Order: sequence, then C-alpha cells, then structure tokens
Amino acid sequence: MNASSDRLSRWTPVMFACALINLCLGLLLAVSGLAWPAASAGAPATLAMVHLLAIGWLTLMMFGALFQFAPVITGRRLRSQALALVTLIGVQAGLALMVGGFGALGRAAWADRLLPAGGTVVTAALLVGSATLLVPLIARRPVPLSARFVMVGLGFLLLTVVLGVTLALALTIPATVPLLAPLLAGGLSSHMLAGLGGWFTLTAIGVSYELLPMFMLAPHERGVVGIAILWSGGAGFLAAYAAGLASAVAAAGWIAAVGQAGELAILFAVALYLGDVVRLYRGRRRRQIELHNRAAIGAFVALGLAVLLAAGAAAAGRLAELAPSLLVLLLLGWLSGLGLTQLYKIVAFLAWLSRYGGRLGRGPVPRVQDLVNERGAAVLFVLYFAAVALAAGAAAFGLADAVRAALALALVAVLLLAREYARAWRATYAQRAAAAGPRSLVPSPLVRQGDR
Amino acid sequence: MTAPASPLTAGDVREALRDVIDPELGYNIVDLGLVYDIGIEDGLIDVRMTMTTPGCPAQDYIVTGVERRLADVAGVTGVFVTVVWSPAWSPRMMSPSAKAHFRIREDGE
Ligand code: HEM
Repeated sequence: MNASSDRLSRWTPVMFACALINLCLGLLLAVSGLAWPAASAGAPATLAMVHLLAIGWLTLMMFGALFQFAPVITGRRLRSQALALVTLIGVQAGLALMVGGFGALGRAAWADRLLPAGGTVVTAALLVGSATLLVPLIARRPVPLSARFVMVGLGFLLLTVVLGVTLALALTIPATVPLLAPLLAGGLSSHMLAGLGGWFTLTAIGVSYELLPMFMLAPHERGVVGIAILWSGGAGFLAAYAAGLASAVAAAGWIAAVGQAGELAILFAVALYLGDVVRLYRGRRRRQIELHNRAAIGAFVALGLAVLLAAGAAAAGRLAELAPSLLVLLLLGWLSGLGLTQLYKIVAFLAWLSRYGGRLGRGPVPRVQDLVNERGAAVLFVLYFAAVALAAGAAAFGLADAVRAALALALVAVLLLAREYARAWRATYAQRAAAAGPRSLVPSPLVRQGDR
Repeated sequence: MTAPASPLTAGDVREALRDVIDPELGYNIVDLGLVYDIGIEDGLIDVRMTMTTPGCPAQDYIVTGVERRLADVAGVTGVFVTVVWSPAWSPRMMSPSAKAHFRIREDGE
C-alpha cells in the first residue's frame, strides 16, 4: 500500500454494491404485489419496502459517497476505515432485523421485538458513521458550504431514526403507547419530513454542490444563495418537524402557523436551489457535459415536479390522496435518480484511482471516461426516468397494475445500470479498447497534442 | 543518470509532463494549465503545480505520476513537486488546443 491509497475509502464500493441490492429488493417487493401499490401504504410489506429504499439504498449509498467525499470536501483524511465497515455491517444487519420485524408485525410477541431492536442497531451504526464523518468535516475552517449541508443533514438523520425507533416501540409494545402518545399522532409526518427532507435532500444538495461544479468546471462559490438555501431549508424542516410533533400535544393555532411557515421556508429553499442549479449548469465552462450530469437533469425535474405537486395538492386539500405519487417522485425520481446518475461517475472514478492511479507517469493509462460506455448507459437512464414518471402518473390515478408495470421497468433499468457500474469497476470497456489496439490508450494524439 | 548532451530546459520538462494526464478531464496536465512553474537547477527540478479542484481525490496519484515521469528524464537527479492553490486554477489557463477540445471559448468563459 502506498500513501496514495488512503485517499480512497476502502468500503465505499462494497457499500454501493449493498445499496444497489437493497434498491432492487425494495423495487421487487413493489413489483411482486406484496407491498404498495397492491397493498396499502401502511401495510407491513410497504413499510419494509420503504425502509429498504430509505435506509438500505439511499442512506447506505449516501454514507458510501460521504466516506469518499468528506475528505475531498475538507482536505482531511478519515480517521478510520474500519469504522466505515462497522457502519456498513450495522446498517445492513439492523435493516435485516427491521424488515423481518415489519414482516412479523402482530404475529408473535418475540417477533415484534425485531423492529425496535433492528431500528436501534441501525441508529447505533449511523451514529458511528456520522461521528466518523464529522471529524474531518468540522476540522477545516471555515467550514465549506457543502460540509455545512452535510452536517445539518446528519442532524436530521438522527432526528429521523430516533423518532423511527419511537414509532416502532409504540407499534410493537402497546404498553409504551401511553408514554409515547404525544409523539405518535404527528410522529409519522415528522419522521418522513426529517428523513426525506432534512436528511436526504439537504445532504444531496450539499454533495451536488461539490460534484456538479467539479465535473462541469463551474464556479464552486455559491455565495449568499447557498447560505439562504441552507438556512431556509434547515429552519423550515426543523419548524415543520417540531410543529408536527407539537400538534399532537396541543392544538394551538400558533403551532399550526409555525408548521406552515416551515413548509413555506422549505418551498423557498427548494425553489432557490433549483434556480441555482440552472445557474450552475449555465455557468459551466465545460460545454459538453458528461452523461451523469446530463441524466441528473431528470432528478432535478422530479424534485421540481414533486414540490409543485405538493404545493398544489396541499392547496386543494388532496395531499393524502396524492402522497404516493409524491413519494415516488421524491424517493425514486429525485433521490434515487440523483444517486444512480452520480454513482455512474463515482464508480468509474474510484475504479480509475484504484486500478490506474499508481500507473500514472509510468506509461499510458486510460482516462476515467474510457471506463464507461456513455451511449449505452444513456438509454438506461432515459428508461429509468420514464418508468418513474409513469409510476408517479399511474399512482396519481390509483392505477395499481400500471404502477407495478412501471416499477418493473424501473427495476430492469436499475439492474442494467448495475451491470454498467460493474463493468466500469472491472474496467471492462478500457480493457476491450486496449485489446483492440494500443492507440486507444493515452497519450493519444489528441491528448498528447501540445501548443508550441 | 547519464549526463545530458545539452542542458535540461523547462521545455524538455514540459514535454515529458505531457505524458501525465488529469484522469478526470482526460487531458495532459501541461495543456490543462495545471503546471504553473518549472525551476531547474543542475539536475534538480522544482515543479509548482495545482489541481482542478482543491482536495482532488487523484492529487497524490498525479503528484507521484509527475515525480515518476520526470525521474525518467535524462539528466534529472531530483524532483520536488509543490501543489499550490493560489492562483486558483481556471479553465482560462488551458492551452488553445485543450480549450478547443473541451469547447471552451478562447477567453475561458
Ligand atoms: C433514513 C432513515 C429513515 C427514513 C428516510 C424513513 C422513512 C419513512 C417513511 C417515508 C415512512 C412512511 C412509510 C409509509 O407510510 O408507507 C416511515 C414509516 C415508519 N418508519 Fe421510518 N424511516 C427511516 C428510519 C427508520 C428507523 C431507523 C425506524 C426504526 C425502526 C423506522 C420506523 C418506522 C416506522 C415504525 C414507520 C411506520 C409508522 C406508522 O405507520 O405509524 N424508520 N419511515
């Protein structure tokens, strides 16, 4: 091992692989008819599916990316690679218990204990992971904007999982209900808001502020807009979260007002962010952008649509009815869409570093771009986002079979994308090109070309 | 190392460094404008360079790549690479051929 290798997060590729498996399992639950849309939104199998996606796929993928990029954002190294492995094992094991626990809901008393136990294991593992990340994140002064988003996001993750365990206790151990009663009524909406909004969305914004400028050669500096998004989004999610919980204890008008102010602040933050993303794409210096950033536009569109739909549905008093559509747009369109598109680049980049980094300066090496086949993968991203759009549309009209068919299509797209990630990881395309002839490796005439 | 026929020039060093690429942009570091300054004293070479992004995950690899490539140049007895962040790199610093490759306008905007 040379000094360079500790720039690489060792367990990140394994986390990505586990995350993709969890995504496929979650989609499979929906497609098979065990979970929503065939079953109700609150059905045990639906809850298992939602958490496979939320914890198993999105949270694990986010941690995998953060373990790699927290040192990049801050220029500091991670204290320990082993703690990343502890996080991975804890999350995966706790999630398995949780899924078993949802499956066992109401069956046998001992089986019911699985859910809170699993949630506790997940919570402990995520605390370990968060602490590992926070060390480099707070070490650098001034704390970079993207790191601040991630820190606020990790705070919301804690709020999410602690409330999740509380809900699980109330669901599985009736004796705890009188104690927890105040948390239950508003608990679910607060849990969802903190998870999908405070944790995923704020962290994704932070990571996107790092990755988009880096690969598009756009200015990193987000100025006052970035700060406004952080404050407005952070305060908005916190207000809506607290008001959701407080409304269960007291039905005071001011609590509802705080909640509404929070929701407006969230809308404002998302609108500002989307505007800023447009500015970022327009301000890029690299005219021809790579596939992962072209495809990410699908995720941004999904976020915009979700916000419009949420605002419209709330105004029309039809939020509950359109909630499934919203969840599809947010979970699969925005968060999973951003994740799948950025993974396409991150995997190729990590593969390059671990395979060819040590050969730089010793002879020709391929470029990161040579590890992928953008033309083939572009079709898969189109397929994925089209399938998600169909699923969201069908969900709005309550067409369960159409939703399942659309999600089956999304699953196919994910499986084929996973094959592309694996090919990038194994450098299949680069090796094929090398076998076809040494000229395809740099220094090629194009790259070697000087200006004298 | 054998003594060079003619003294080593910054041009020779630049030429050699065109073999080292920034893996992300897929272009050599010289034409990307990442190499700011080359100092040569006897066989000792001082390279002052930057990365496209602070904390670039490929940084250590690129620096090692520079050291290795230059160690192979006839007449070189030592290589010192310093990575600096000021001035910050900008696409404006690319050579015309690199700008053309990335479809960046001449003024870098
Ligand atoms: C990143 C973390 C998490 C996210 C994003 C998340 C998200 C969600 C979402 C979206 C729902 C609503 C599902 C539906 O109604 O169909 C939900 C419900 C639920 N979550 Fe989580 N969750 C997370 C972690 C946890 C943890 C660690 C537990 C602990 C066991 C947990 C326990 C529950 C329970 C019990 C419900 C159902 C509550 C009810 O129906 O009253 N969650 N979660």
